[in-house]
Amino acid sequence: MKMKRLVSVLLAGVMTLSLVACGSAAEPATETAPAATEEAAVEEPAPAAEEAAPAAEEEAPAEEVASDEPVTLTMWCIATEGDSNRHAYEQAIADMEEKYPNVTLEWEAIENEAYKTKIATAMADGNDLPDIFFTWSCAFLGDFVEQGRVYCLDDTLAKYSDELPESMLGNTTYDGKHYGVPTTMNIVALFANMDLLAEAGWDHVPVDYDELIQCCDDLVAAGIIPFGCAGGETWCVTEYLEPIIEKSIGADALNDIFLGRATYNNPDVAKAVDTFQEMIDKGYFDPAGASLPNDDVKANFMAGRTAFYQNGTWNCADFANDEEFLPKVQVTEFPVIDSSKSKLGQLIGGPSDTLAVAATSENAELAAEYAAELGKLICHYGYLDGCGLPAWIPYGDTSDINPLTQSVAEICANADAYVLFGDTAMSAVDKDPYLDAVAKVYGKELDGQGFIDELAGAIR
Amino acid sequence: MNKKGKPFTIIAFLLPALILFVGILIWPIIASVHHSLYTYPTFADPGEFVGFKNYTDLFSSQYDFGRAILNALILAALSVFIQLPLALGLALMLGKGIKGERFYLSVYFAPVLISAVVIGMLWEKIYNPIYGLVTKAAEALSISVPPEGLLGNPKTALLAVFIPTIWQYVGYHMLLMYAGIKGVSPELREAAKLDGATDGQVNRYVVIPCIKPIIKVSIIFAITGSLKSYDLIKVFAKDAYNCSYKVPSLLLVRYAFHNAGGIASAIAVIMIVMCFGFAILVNWLFKERDLYGKK
Repeated sequence: MKMKRLVSVLLAGVMTLSLVACGSAAEPATETAPAATEEAAVEEPAPAAEEAAPAAEEEAPAEEVASDEPVTLTMWCIATEGDSNRHAYEQAIADMEEKYPNVTLEWEAIENEAYKTKIATAMADGNDLPDIFFTWSCAFLGDFVEQGRVYCLDDTLAKYSDELPESMLGNTTYDGKHYGVPTTMNIVALFANMDLLAEAGWDHVPVDYDELIQCCDDLVAAGIIPFGCAGGETWCVTEYLEPIIEKSIGADALNDIFLGRATYNNPDVAKAVDTFQEMIDKGYFDPAGASLPNDDVKANFMAGRTAFYQNGTWNCADFANDEEFLPKVQVTEFPVIDSSKSKLGQLIGGPSDTLAVAATSENAELAAEYAAELGKLICHYGYLDGCGLPAWIPYGDTSDINPLTQSVAEICANADAYVLFGDTAMSAVDKDPYLDAVAKVYGKELDGQGFIDELAGAIR
Repeated sequence: MNKKGKPFTIIAFLLPALILFVGILIWPIIASVHHSLYTYPTFADPGEFVGFKNYTDLFSSQYDFGRAILNALILAALSVFIQLPLALGLALMLGKGIKGERFYLSVYFAPVLISAVVIGMLWEKIYNPIYGLVTKAAEALSISVPPEGLLGNPKTALLAVFIPTIWQYVGYHMLLMYAGIKGVSPELREAAKLDGATDGQVNRYVVIPCIKPIIKVSIIFAITGSLKSYDLIKVFAKDAYNCSYKVPSLLLVRYAFHNAGGIASAIAVIMIVMCFGFAILVNWLFKERDLYGKK
């Protein structure tokens, strides 16, 4: 119950601190309002909502499904067999089959990178879109909204205002209208294999940057590779580079750059990139990761090849499911590099995983109701599994949440500011040169100055 | 049939093929040229007319298109100067009528039948820097390989992509050449032998000149195939942001679906021009040789 209260109150409140804003209507999310005020505002309905949620669930089917006529809805998502969220999707869909017996959901899970191409193709064409689709928030969904392909969820989400805080909708709100049902939220975190750290003489996770560097030196001296990073998937490189830039220049400055309010022509960014490359040069990164996919690098971390793995907190589920590995692993945030510009609690992440409804759906209204209920259930089961923190106010027994997710909840509870993942915050046009430049940085084809020069020219 | 009706009959018989030819080949090229002059933020929206700006932008550092073209040309050169001689060597060997000819033919041709995705995934495991066959074999033989693996090192990545390409397509070119070699009249071979020519001389002065048209076709296929290469590279490149693997087709697909249809169309037009250009060049080179020979 304590955990539930902590998460329901603090997460919802903390998200109002989010610096991310997608459309003009998302401006409230940019305010760094006093946490206490915001938290208090959210805290009030929380206990009531906790009680009300299960009851609302029971009532929902009878109310929402006006007709018993069989309806088939289609859905695309990325919860493939190997995805951390797979179990949550399966559970949620099984529940939905009971709640909506007249609705048949035909769902298809596509691998992450392939999905981005598939959904972009379908959106560009406008035909053959599923009724419900998974999307990332902010610019990724924003591009589709701009194309007029997404159904507005204002009416639907109004019914869930007690369970889904408005602060969680900022990243899916464009021109004041809601277009997405958030499921879970995640941040980038640093996972550490404490057994390997112990071999290098460390009994705790480094708390500041100097300690981190010392720890890495000790690990290298002990013949242990500190970090694993999948160069084969550039988003994994951003999971290292973005926290390093954020902890060097501060969340406000990075957010301004991601949202186009400032250019990349910032010497502090160049310095941060150089810091990242110095870490590569010192042999802190597993060279084998250069061409490997993320699954292999994660498996290497779990197998004890690398001491640290920095990636999204959705990985808590997989780490927690491995009984042998769980006791060895701890999670923390990347330490501050320049304390005059950044501080602990400035995080990369936020509510991004979202369900949306295609404007072309023949049953758009029903699909919207279905997506909202399904999103709530995916959030519920995903949270229980450790796939992320809940965007919806949690309900039911959450006492068995794995310790890693609990640690993440504590990190988020102390959050100062969030900057959404760069490739989600940026439009499709800006994302490509950004990821190109990140890949070049990891491949040592660009240094810090080259990085800012290239992006200052490419992204306007 | 009277003379008056003949032109109409010809038109009637040619029309279906003409419609298909124009609809499937000519019209898409014209459409691509047209699209390349606009921004085309979505498939349905042509966006703003920008003239040749898409072409000039392509060669800025933002798009890395110059690098992609260079990579494609390196692949084409490797195909022509390594893959085809290898295929020719195998075809000449099998064409002589060695024991187990059919068996070897099937073995060399088998990789052509396997999906490029399967080959890509197979070779990805072979190249794995931790447990891959190449890594382990190099360790056993005390040969140094980059710690990133052949695919992870920018200097060796393109070569690592080319090796499975050879493995896959050498059988295809070998079969084309083998068919040509089998078509060479045995009398010509026998006559050369009677004149005291060695096997090597027979191949050089009799067989290869006879199959020159097939070699020409193989060269055109190898070059255009390399310029258009996509599937195998996509498996290795994954999200395609790594410069070592950039080829025009990867960029084309990326920009076509990332709100930059104009740029994608410009890439398509350049690829078409390059493929036609190389085909014409190869034809011209072979034609010149013929004329020279006749002199």
